[in-house]
Amino acid sequence: MKTRTEALLKSLIVLWVTAVIFAGFLLDIPRISILEHTARNLYFHVPLWFALMAAFFVSAWHSARFLSTEDLDYDVRASHAAMVGMAFGILGLVTGMVWARFTWYVGTNKWWNNDPKQVMAAVQLMIYGAYFVLRSSFDHSEKRARVSAVYNLFAAATVPFLLYVLPRQFQSLHPGAEGNPAFDEITHPIMRLVFYPAIMGFIALFWWIYSQRVRLTLLERRLEHE
Amino acid sequence: MNSHVKEITWTGSEFVLPLQTQGDSSQTTGIETAYDSIWAAEVPVADPSPLERIMLAEDKLYVVLAVVLVIWFGIVAMLVRTDRKIKDLERRLSDEGLEGRSKTR
Repeated sequence: MKTRTEALLKSLIVLWVTAVIFAGFLLDIPRISILEHTARNLYFHVPLWFALMAAFFVSAWHSARFLSTEDLDYDVRASHAAMVGMAFGILGLVTGMVWARFTWYVGTNKWWNNDPKQVMAAVQLMIYGAYFVLRSSFDHSEKRARVSAVYNLFAAATVPFLLYVLPRQFQSLHPGAEGNPAFDEITHPIMRLVFYPAIMGFIALFWWIYSQRVRLTLLERRLEHE
Repeated sequence: MNSHVKEITWTGSEFVLPLQTQGDSSQTTGIETAYDSIWAAEVPVADPSPLERIMLAEDKLYVVLAVVLVIWFGIVAMLVRTDRKIKDLERRLSDEGLEGRSKTR
């Protein structure tokens, strides 16, 4: 990417996310008991998970590319995408814990409530954590890249089940779960005005951090080869 | 699902919440949403803890602030990590006597 376009794109991301935060706090939303203003967390907690899914998709894509081309650059991209995706997932878990603690779990002092989606998300992060344990157990980079790419494809295959299919089979705080109204039915149209841009903004943030890490590692590798 | 569920209804211009005084008042805490059948029983009527007194003020707006701050600190942590990687790379460049090359960047 040309430096000018990149600089422009990044200032756009900064403006965009700033606007999302402003609108997230200032836009008037319908009042719902228990939730009250925390409904605004829809703009911050949920997009983290969308960014995580985008990250894991990017990661799996590059693992597949590695397997078909054997080009180690793809391995670098796959591992950094998974790493930044995991960081977003950890933030997603922590923000979800804070949210539930002061809404549905007020007065219980329960930070971890074993909500099905919470548990599955933790399992998901452990599956990706194992990807990095696996990577660290190889000295030979070609071998590491090949084995971890295969594992990564398996890990990616679990994402839709752990984050979508399974949690919806149980009673949960999350929309769309057993007995709960779907996201469509409980989300006021005005909130979508901020929610969708927030998703785009968080995915853009992911891309920014991820591309920094990739560029750094590629520089390192160039240094080794020269 | 039992009969305690009270739907929030959308009239086209606003949300209509179920009447909070309905039902058996000895069981409910006055908090009724679509999640009621699952969660109402878990909401105790105990005095709020000091932390809760802060977080529940201003209609719970501080919960949103806490969430945004968690994300902000997470991004800071990632920045610090990237910084460290850059430092490592710089150190390696100077170790190998390649300062001249690093200046061309």
